[in-house]
Amino acid sequence: MSIVREYDNFLDLRRQETSNFLWISKRWDPKIAFRQGQSRPSPQFHKEAVLNSPKIQELIEQISSRSNISKSVLEHQVQDILDEIGYEKKFKIIRWLGLMLTKICLTVLSGIYINVEQVEQIKNQMGHCPVIFVPTHRSYGDFIMMSYITFQYDIEIPAIAAGMDFHGMWGMGTLLRDTGAFFMRRTYNDDHLYWTTFRQYVYQLVSKGDLPIEFFIEGTRSRSNKSLSPKYGLLTMVLKAFFFSQVPDIHFVPIGVSYDRILEENLFAFELLGVPKPKESTSGFFKSMKILKESFGNIYVHMDKPISVKQFFGNKVDRSVHNLGALHQQEVTDEEKKLLPSLAYEILNRQQKVLVTTVFNLVSLILNNNLVYEKDLLTLEELTKDVQWIRETVRFLGGFTHSTNIERSINDCFNTHKNLIRINRNKKIKIVSNKISHGEINHKKLKGHLLSDETMTYSVPFVTLQIYVNPVLHYFVDINIILVILSSKSMNEDELFENYHFLRSLFAREFITLAPKDKTVFNTALNNAISLNLVSLTNGSYQLENNEKLRYLIVNTFNAFYVSFLTTLIVLEGLPDVTDEKSILTNAQKLLENSIEKKKDIIHPYSLNLDTLGNCLNSLVDERIIQKTRRNNKTLYEIYRSKLMEIKEHFVRIIPKYYVEESCQITSNRLQNKL
Amino acid sequence: MSEHNQKNQMQGPIVVKSVVPKNRQDLIKWNGWGYNDSKFVIKEGPEIYFSGKRYPIGEQRLPHIYDWAKDVLNVDLATAKPKKIQGLPSEDLYPKPNITAENLDKISSLGISYSTKVIDRLIRAHGQTLHEIYTLQNSTFTRIPDIVLWPTSHNDVVKIVSLSNESDIVVIPFGGGTAVSGAPECPHNESRTIISLDTSQMNKILWLDKENLIGCFESGIVGQDLERELKQLGYTTGHEPDSYEFSSLGGWVATRASGMKKNVYGNIEDLLVHVKMVTARGTLEKNCQVPRLSCGPDFNHVVLGSEGSLGVITEVILKIRPLPQCKKYGSIVFPSFENGVEFMREVAKRRWQPASIRLMDNDQFKFALILKPESTYVALVLDSIKKFYITTIKGFDPDHMCVMTLLFEADEADVKINEKNLYNLSKRFGGYPAGEMNGERGYMLTFVIAYIRDLGLQYEVVAESFETSVPWDRAVTLARNVKFVITDECKTLGITHFLINCRVTQTYDSGCVIYFYLGFNHSGLGDPVVLHNRLETRARNEIVSCGGSISHHHGVGKLRQKWYPSTVSDVGVGLYLAAKKQLDPNNIFATNNLVPPSKL
Repeated sequence: MSIVREYDNFLDLRRQETSNFLWISKRWDPKIAFRQGQSRPSPQFHKEAVLNSPKIQELIEQISSRSNISKSVLEHQVQDILDEIGYEKKFKIIRWLGLMLTKICLTVLSGIYINVEQVEQIKNQMGHCPVIFVPTHRSYGDFIMMSYITFQYDIEIPAIAAGMDFHGMWGMGTLLRDTGAFFMRRTYNDDHLYWTTFRQYVYQLVSKGDLPIEFFIEGTRSRSNKSLSPKYGLLTMVLKAFFFSQVPDIHFVPIGVSYDRILEENLFAFELLGVPKPKESTSGFFKSMKILKESFGNIYVHMDKPISVKQFFGNKVDRSVHNLGALHQQEVTDEEKKLLPSLAYEILNRQQKVLVTTVFNLVSLILNNNLVYEKDLLTLEELTKDVQWIRETVRFLGGFTHSTNIERSINDCFNTHKNLIRINRNKKIKIVSNKISHGEINHKKLKGHLLSDETMTYSVPFVTLQIYVNPVLHYFVDINIILVILSSKSMNEDELFENYHFLRSLFAREFITLAPKDKTVFNTALNNAISLNLVSLTNGSYQLENNEKLRYLIVNTFNAFYVSFLTTLIVLEGLPDVTDEKSILTNAQKLLENSIEKKKDIIHPYSLNLDTLGNCLNSLVDERIIQKTRRNNKTLYEIYRSKLMEIKEHFVRIIPKYYVEESCQITSNRLQNKL
Repeated sequence: MSEHNQKNQMQGPIVVKSVVPKNRQDLIKWNGWGYNDSKFVIKEGPEIYFSGKRYPIGEQRLPHIYDWAKDVLNVDLATAKPKKIQGLPSEDLYPKPNITAENLDKISSLGISYSTKVIDRLIRAHGQTLHEIYTLQNSTFTRIPDIVLWPTSHNDVVKIVSLSNESDIVVIPFGGGTAVSGAPECPHNESRTIISLDTSQMNKILWLDKENLIGCFESGIVGQDLERELKQLGYTTGHEPDSYEFSSLGGWVATRASGMKKNVYGNIEDLLVHVKMVTARGTLEKNCQVPRLSCGPDFNHVVLGSEGSLGVITEVILKIRPLPQCKKYGSIVFPSFENGVEFMREVAKRRWQPASIRLMDNDQFKFALILKPESTYVALVLDSIKKFYITTIKGFDPDHMCVMTLLFEADEADVKINEKNLYNLSKRFGGYPAGEMNGERGYMLTFVIAYIRDLGLQYEVVAESFETSVPWDRAVTLARNVKFVITDECKTLGITHFLINCRVTQTYDSGCVIYFYLGFNHSGLGDPVVLHNRLETRARNEIVSCGGSISHHHGVGKLRQKWYPSTVSDVGVGLYLAAKKQLDPNNIFATNNLVPPSKL
């Protein structure tokens, strides 16, 4: 598979021009997403339209007559809600921010690379229907980059769905709002008036607005740097305008934003290990401004071809079901809701495909394996050789690495990531470890177990490194599963597929897929494994082949995930039939902390991360092994024991023996004490 | 004529001399729209004229068409060679009539005028859809009627139908030939003899009942004959569909036609007091001519919209009105289509509609300007002053503004009040009155626009119109979405030069009617009929998805069968088929309209 991709460094333009100020004060006549009649709708127009919509007016009347509150009081409430939600457009602020941002980017970044050709194509197509930008969300930088880029290419700056946590940051909320952000509360409750108003606002922006809209389909920043399962709330609100034929089509533009170095890497490592997320506050923001003195390498933004929902859904959607009755009294139907996952996963898959693989992703992949599982540390020459080798493999599997000179790019990594890796006196590459000691921590605020200072000191660098390994794992996951299964014994295709399907379903949340049962994905992976000399077929039976170096790399890289899963199963086995989430996570982390102490060369500290443990639980919920309920603000799981046993047995049977032995030992030692 | 009607009769039947002769082709194009002498012609220069004196723009230079055709449709009328169109068909172009000597004997013994000449059969084998006209000009129909019969009375029709039913002969009624649904077309695989029952010689005004303001007419009378005759007596039906020069009363009933002035006079179903339909089982009629009847399901509504599939409509009693004292045109410009629709909605809410109220979108407004004849110097100056005022003083954007045309018909005082109310109200929606002339021109163009397709066909441009009815709150989005879909599909099909515009042509309490014009240059892209079919199908799918109807007044015919079952439900299809089976057990009215034959 050879992929040619062209990217332009748009910071070069900024470096070449004599005055950034002239650029930032350029005449602003941008391309809009969806032309609306004669005059452009204003932010205030949208708020008024929502307030006066039959939907909101009828709701106000209902509440008013039910709870004896006067209509004008309720109208004021709606107005307040709309003021909390609604975006603004202050062009002076946009320009000043843009100028500041340019200065910062020119200091800390080498480049911002964009596939300009596609951007121009998207721009040319705009004007006739709503356009939704759906970027990956792996840093706060995503917000800023998207607005910055649209400004550069004279595309109207999007209205961005932002969480209310931003709103709380002093000054930042207003700033973001003035550049086009609208705000959504994070807490889900029964505030009917709020949610109806919010939904109507989004509906209004999509059907009667002319700005592109931007939202993150994963709902939150991915701390792990890999795709999360999609959230359907905003997607439903956006699509409603299409289902109700209020717009002729909607174009979703999947966008992959990748960073040589993620601003929040350290914070993410802590969060993954369970240190509570500090509330976004401005002081936190200014702290991150300090980081901006360092080097952050490149940022790559790839905008994919738009997905036309009309084409994507084709005959599967019958919009005429909404023909009878007043539109504002109708809701998105169950049939329509059933269509959402296919679209959401299409967007996510496209994001993954277009995301640029950074050289540091490859470096991390090699180093991660070396530092945890191999005896001898690598020299720079050895690393370079291995990176070139794995780059070919990743390219074969569809990944694209942007580098014109790989040696130089690898060297740059040691500058950009000097907080994480360095070359020691013996010319060997080591991970940088800083002593961590946490002060007083309120146990109640923890999601899981309070890891010891020692564990944290050891784990944080590895978890940080893993964050950079994660974005390439989706290229390998299917092959990994095949290799893991064939490690136990050779087997025919049917048996292999059956086991593959079993493991792929369990990993459907960790390595997102909508169709773990998909035979074509399996076949592609199997063929790739054969092409890569990892697997061969003799007499109808598949077995491992002799490309051991690649096999070890692929198997080792995923170890942490198998360990997390097995640990989750073992913990669930030992816990009562109904258990709260925190107990499960605490026990699992405890168990893993102990095994890491003993077996550092086998158990990767990433197995401690709460994201993966949470995904294990969610997968088991999907497979109906456990059932999730919420009671008194607590998440509880009911365990179906016989099914759990069945799954565990199957899991243990096909994964390599050493996982099981090690982990079982730990169980008998530890879990019993606790219970 | 029924016995009990005789005493109401003011005079004997009026034998109407129709403008349309029995030999239709003597007056009307055999392979296009309208009068032979009326068409767009290109002379040296190129100079473009509309020929003939029948319409106000006749014999005037139309200087704006040239540039427009070049820009919008990529046709250079100066250099492009008009396409060669096949001439009047010879006798051997079509197979000999499929009719046994025995049946021909039986038919001739009825004493009803008939013909088996190819030209007569061909002229009655089609309506006015693009597919039909394109076939006439370029190829041949797979099936045409075998014999044409010209009954002159209800009783003649009874005889024809009864003979056909006994001898298993198919009867396809033919009126004015203006259908745009494929309804008059013969089913391709019909192996039985097909009679084209031409109602044109059955066009008498049987009686008028001035006391009750009703009149009884034979179904073959065409609109302009009916109105001309009534006008002489001081009356009008007020039914004026855009095709009324050529379409017939029976056709109006059979398709559920709608007239431009329905706001004052009503649509055909409002005008219709009584109807006689000859079926294979006998004549369906009532024993009274009352203004309303509570007597089970109204069978008038089985006849209305039956599209020739259940029987032959022979005599219709319609309401008539004294001629209006005052007839006046008007027009209003709006800054945008959305504003115009909002105004229309408000007018409908207040039930302030004049006889006609229509709104052209920006593209159609521009198109109307293209058809402006060369004006005198004074008129040009006046025009530019007005343009300056509207675009500069009022701030209208020439790429968004659109125009509404109005027609008032009432007592003078009422018209004055109505005018004042409308013009005042329009200000609230950014409207600005634009004079009587613009209004009158708008309505005149309605008739002329039908001729322009024949010009396009000579230069590889095809055009067609389609319409729908839609609830008020979905009207603007429907229009917008349909244009989007057409633009999108044109891109897919490689069509680079096309036009898609629309107008709102009727208003109701709960919705309105939108009429689309579509035209495109198909040069080098293959069969234009296939291309157009794809476009129209996508457009109709979008219309239905947006809450619009399969048709407001053109009917279903064969063109829109695809959407009939989903429109009326499976139970509805069953109900129609049950009626069909009861009224026509041998399927002699084998038009295949509404429901495809596989369901019969």
